Amino acid sequence: MLKFLAGSVAALAIFVSGAVANAQTLKMWGPEQITEPLVAELWNGIKADFEKANPGVKVEFMPPTGTISNGAVQSAIQSNVGPDVILTNSGIGRISIVRNAKQVMPLTEQYEKRGWKNQIYPWLYAELKGQFGGDVYEVPDGLDALGIWYHKDLFAQAGWKVPATWKEFETLLAAIDAKGLQPIAIGPRTTGSAGHLFGNLLQSASGKEMIGKALRKEIAWDDPKVAAGAVRLQKLVEAGFIKKEMAGLDLDGASRLWFNKRAAMFVAGPWFTANARKAGYDLVNAGYAPMPSDNPGEAIPTGGVGWSWLVPVNSKQPDLAMKWIDFMLSDPVMKKRAQAPASTMIYPRELTGIEPPTPVLKEIFAAAAAGVGYNPSVYLPATVLDTYFQVIQGLISGQVTGEAGMKQIQAKMAEAK
Amino acid sequence: MINRETPGSSTAAPLGNRSALAKTATVEAGGSAAGRFDSRDTGSALWLMAPALVLYAIFSLLPIAATFWLSFNSSAGFNTASSFVGLDNYAATAADPIVWQSLWHTLLWLIYHVVLAGGLGLALALAISRLKVTQVFFRTAFFLPHLVSLAVVGVIWANIYDPFYGLINTALTELGLGAFTQGWLSDPALVLFSVNVASSWQGFGLYMLLFIAGLQNIDHTLYDAAEVDGASAWQKLVYVTLPGLREVTTFVVSLAMINGLKGFATVFVMTNGGPFYQSELITTYIYRLAFQSQDHGRAAVLCILLSLLAIVITLVFNRWRARLSK
Repeated sequence: MLKFLAGSVAALAIFVSGAVANAQTLKMWGPEQITEPLVAELWNGIKADFEKANPGVKVEFMPPTGTISNGAVQSAIQSNVGPDVILTNSGIGRISIVRNAKQVMPLTEQYEKRGWKNQIYPWLYAELKGQFGGDVYEVPDGLDALGIWYHKDLFAQAGWKVPATWKEFETLLAAIDAKGLQPIAIGPRTTGSAGHLFGNLLQSASGKEMIGKALRKEIAWDDPKVAAGAVRLQKLVEAGFIKKEMAGLDLDGASRLWFNKRAAMFVAGPWFTANARKAGYDLVNAGYAPMPSDNPGEAIPTGGVGWSWLVPVNSKQPDLAMKWIDFMLSDPVMKKRAQAPASTMIYPRELTGIEPPTPVLKEIFAAAAAGVGYNPSVYLPATVLDTYFQVIQGLISGQVTGEAGMKQIQAKMAEAK
Repeated sequence: MINRETPGSSTAAPLGNRSALAKTATVEAGGSAAGRFDSRDTGSALWLMAPALVLYAIFSLLPIAATFWLSFNSSAGFNTASSFVGLDNYAATAADPIVWQSLWHTLLWLIYHVVLAGGLGLALALAISRLKVTQVFFRTAFFLPHLVSLAVVGVIWANIYDPFYGLINTALTELGLGAFTQGWLSDPALVLFSVNVASSWQGFGLYMLLFIAGLQNIDHTLYDAAEVDGASAWQKLVYVTLPGLREVTTFVVSLAMINGLKGFATVFVMTNGGPFYQSELITTYIYRLAFQSQDHGRAAVLCILLSLLAIVITLVFNRWRARLSK
């Protein structure tokens, strides 16, 4: 009997140690808003599919405590007990921070070896290849397209039309203001939110080409041709179309104004559908249009790479991380995500036969079909970003003029390598 | 007369410690120990101190040394090779206007915290110390905010200050005082004070408890004597209570200054240093440089500056306190 017991215990120990040895856990930083039931349902399904396809593998989500912009991703990597693979807000500005700190792996070889380069738009791959001398550190998961969100019912009741020119836009702002509503809500305490409106204003005044040149340092940021957008923001504040008090709001505070229809317009991207759903806003009532441009035919959303996969240099499961990215780029997963009610973004390659789950996403996809402009928040070097966001806050709180603010950005830009 | 004992002469002390204990007793008795420790004693003392010294070296001295080293280097992160740049980081820091702005804000923040949190702590301690039945209730109620994390306090107060939906502006509007509504977190003249109110609200409970303890130690016969002499309530406060609280006040001010210099969480959560750097503190700027811009060299320079600031303030305060108590 004793022998039997001892044998059983030994067998159990061997089994358990074997199982432990074979078990692999992939810790994933993300996804955001996992507490939302629809998001949780989608991602738990993806996780289950991956675990089924890879026996012995467990995927563990790490709800993000922030982004690269506020240092949360860097701190998580630095802890050395952080994620094995990361899904976070990206763009060259952010990626350069973790790349320069040598916190993320180059994935250039993987693009060739695993065929990732054929799984994203060719223009997107070309753009990524041009950023760090041919090396690529991210795999795009979603693209952003920032434009104006408005309430269809409010506009219909008041007889307001989506403006086609800047002049019409100003007239619309005055009409909304006269009605006692906030024309535009903005929450610049959340840096991204500050950049969304500002990037749109820069593009509306100067055009995509000019902003591209400024980002490539081919023209100075304080050149009147580029600074026009900042002056535009200053004038909107002076006219009371953007209240100075909004400098004290964050994204949640500003979007609350819009969801409660105390504000008529809000600049955001496709991800705003998740915020709207969470706030109980009826997405059928949401309309989307690009900000009017002074350049005819250039009224397009701003944007760029919005979210990407990164692999930290200290990932405990680098091979599994690559497998996970393979899986996420696969057709079934991407289509599943694009059609899910929790879908909130534009995917990094063309997906045929997909019907966006909400009408507003359809409008966003249509607006972005002709391409998107630059959202400087994701293209500016890390050392400039902070000044950029603070200048936007300064403009909204009336502490700095458009010209002076752009001079500060230019000074930082000149220092940046 | 020095009573030098030799090992074995005492029966009470444990064997290994008898010599050291005897010498301690001797020194306490007024004798001079200079030159009386032999090398064996020094060795034992070092062995006994070693665990504490090692921990102190690992967790205090090494980081201090590393910070100094980092301040002379250019480093984009812990994983990158750093290069010696001499005093470049110091020069860049001195030329950065935001550094001076944040230094000024840090001093203001410290003063606000000492006055608001310390002052409120004293006022409430005075108000509730005479209560018989309800004192425990008020003491607990006023201490409760101190148990809430500063990050949560930041979120709560950011909502209270919301210009459109916040408690303060809504209440003012409802009371017909709409003209007094403010952009509490957007007005450059108000923002630092507003955030400090939130931070002080979290901190005053501890200071209140310390003042209550101090009040309980004041001899009540002094109040009786003042009463007999016909002193008013104000005179009793000024000539009995406040002098009686001198030691506690010194401690509370020191503590409040240290907490003031450490101010970070509420600013980070409520304004992140904005708008346009109007609530930037040295601590938030250090975070921004180190973890957002990955400029560890300049962040290290600011750490040293903050340490120097703490040392200078403590020295000045201690000197002032010493002069006061003469």
